[in-house]
Amino acid sequence: MNNSFWTVVGFTVANKVKGKAFLITTLIIALVICIGANLPYLIDKFSGESEPTKIGYLDNGSNGGTDADIIAMLQSYLAGQKEPELEIVAIADAGSADANESALKQAIIDEKIEGYMEFAKSDSSSFPAVTFKSEELMDMSTTQSLSAALQSVKMETVLKDSNMTAEQKKLLFEPVEIDSVQISTIEGAGSIGQGKSKSEQAMDMGLVYVILTLLFMAIMITGQLIASEITAEKSSRVMEVLITSVSPLKGMFGKIFGMFLVGLAQIIIFVAVMVGSLLLPHNADMMSELNINLADIDPLLVIYAVIFYLAGYFLYATMFAAVGSIVSRTEDLGQALMPITMLSFAGYYICLFGGIANPNAMFVKVTSYIPFFSPYVMLVRLGLEDPPLWQVWASILILLVTIGIVGWFAAKIYRVGVLMYGKRPSLKELRKAMRAYKV
Amino acid sequence: MNPLKVDKVYKQYGDKTAVNGISFEVAEGEIYGLLGANGAGKTTTMRMVLGLIYPDGGSIQYNGKPYSTDLLRNLGYLPEERGLYPKVKVSDQVIYLAKLRGMSQRDAVTNLKRWLDRFNVPEYYNKKVEELSKGNQQKIQFIASVIHNPKIVIMDEAFSGLDPVNVELLKSTVKELRDSGSSILFSTHRMEHVEELCRNITILHKSNPVLQGNLKSIKKQFPRERILLGTEGDVQGLETIAGVTKVVRHENGYALFISNESAGRPVLELAMAQTGINKFEVLEPTLNEIFIKTVGDNHE
Repeated sequence: MNNSFWTVVGFTVANKVKGKAFLITTLIIALVICIGANLPYLIDKFSGESEPTKIGYLDNGSNGGTDADIIAMLQSYLAGQKEPELEIVAIADAGSADANESALKQAIIDEKIEGYMEFAKSDSSSFPAVTFKSEELMDMSTTQSLSAALQSVKMETVLKDSNMTAEQKKLLFEPVEIDSVQISTIEGAGSIGQGKSKSEQAMDMGLVYVILTLLFMAIMITGQLIASEITAEKSSRVMEVLITSVSPLKGMFGKIFGMFLVGLAQIIIFVAVMVGSLLLPHNADMMSELNINLADIDPLLVIYAVIFYLAGYFLYATMFAAVGSIVSRTEDLGQALMPITMLSFAGYYICLFGGIANPNAMFVKVTSYIPFFSPYVMLVRLGLEDPPLWQVWASILILLVTIGIVGWFAAKIYRVGVLMYGKRPSLKELRKAMRAYKV
Repeated sequence: MNPLKVDKVYKQYGDKTAVNGISFEVAEGEIYGLLGANGAGKTTTMRMVLGLIYPDGGSIQYNGKPYSTDLLRNLGYLPEERGLYPKVKVSDQVIYLAKLRGMSQRDAVTNLKRWLDRFNVPEYYNKKVEELSKGNQQKIQFIASVIHNPKIVIMDEAFSGLDPVNVELLKSTVKELRDSGSSILFSTHRMEHVEELCRNITILHKSNPVLQGNLKSIKKQFPRERILLGTEGDVQGLETIAGVTKVVRHENGYALFISNESAGRPVLELAMAQTGINKFEVLEPTLNEIFIKTVGDNHE
């Protein structure tokens, strides 16, 4: 009679895959992922990187003085750059202050320049304060480039009279590079005894984010689907025929497993789309710029991710199924699912707002053993620190035992829940029904 | 040995007794009627027979054996509230249910097509259930409950919500099922269906089986209380005859209620003396009357 389990699995899968709603959501999410993965490239493409921002200044060259010197040095600094982000444009002096201002503004309107800088009057010994005027609010990138350029010019001005050699100057201008390596002081669960490079760490961090979100989405979406399908079967009264055709246990786990296959297929599609888009040739530059190298993915982390995905899914799915079975009408389902949803959210948020920033914190360590949170939290610890092997397996063991208990209990609830119609039963009523039904 | 034997089955929900010691047997090729007002315990009894609920006392035996999951493939169930997947094709879901009960895909397809032809609706094979009318959904539900040739069929309110043509169609199908050797446990509120189909019945009242046995002998236990009189013209003085409790004038005669069967003879003699007689019948009590008498009288 094991056949009937697979019959339920097959029917569940076929129904979902045939449904338009499922295909459409999968396509939309895949499309969003595809766009998201290509977004940096697209932004780059549209923003036209080769065009430097044009910045105007008032060319009162006849006055001479500091301004002209600064401009000249600025020009030479920008000329020395490979891809200058700025271009300095001279606007002729119109004579009076008012005429100058309107001339500069006219230049902005004519799109000759995007903004202009003004130098405050200062005595020749100090560097003048600079005001950048533009129509845009908080034009961060331009001000930053301008500030960097001016900083360099200022240093140049100050060092002009010192007797520094060109090498010394170069050394002074070079930024300090900090390279951090994550090392392990004890024999950890990760593959790393020799430490992780910066790129590997970034990769792990990104990977943890991605896996965490996938896990959360998989649990929530598939879990809700399971619950709503069971409630729908109950409210359309197919359930009565079903439970007289197949034992409730097989019916419930057949549905959970069928949904698992559907969810898994969905995740595989999403991951494939994501990896596929990242591997597209036009993204290669972006990837190396961001220090992302898919080959740096720690295979052990992926294996643990799969284990925690499986465990987390089945833990939550059985709970979703149990709740789905006691609700009679689809409208009441959302409210009934609230506690489970909250539990799942809590686990996810612990990671998002605590675990990722500080994977060594005590509460992160504690919650990595609590079964409803551990699929999320232990994953973060695995990705970002190096928990001892026994801790990881203790967490997995606790999780498995909990799945056993919750699954057994969920099956009991399901067994009586599917026959109870009307008002959602309280725990007391459920217990009474269980005793009455002798399950 | 009878395929289905229910022996002193007892069920309690909390402090409320749902079924109080019901016993009956259904023979091969028999339709057994389970009657009772709403909430009398019919559905609970059926659910216990289906193994959905376990009895608190007594036993249920199927071909002499207790309940086991292997039994499921020999059970057919037509629930009171119809249940099908609204958005799934008829073929998909009926074949699914058939496979759950151990049928092969091929047999299920063949049987489904045969049944759809039998009900003159072969075009429903590829339709979604929500596209069908209520009566036609019921046909599909019926097919789903018998497609796997079950030995024991439980039908809760089999004909509710059907038009007269479809009632006849399903009734003749149920008879065929009976003649092919299935044991059918049947509940309904329509007494005329019971009179037509069932050999033995149990009437449940407030969880207790109050009347049980062969339908014909049950009827004999109840006195004949009605006379149908068809006459050419008027008859005077019928109410004066001893034993006549009420006289109702109809278009073509009279209906008389009597407290004693011996009142029949003087009624006929009086009528014959006054006018021509087209019809004279001392009626057996209908099951409807028996039911109302058994169940309705002790309504508080």
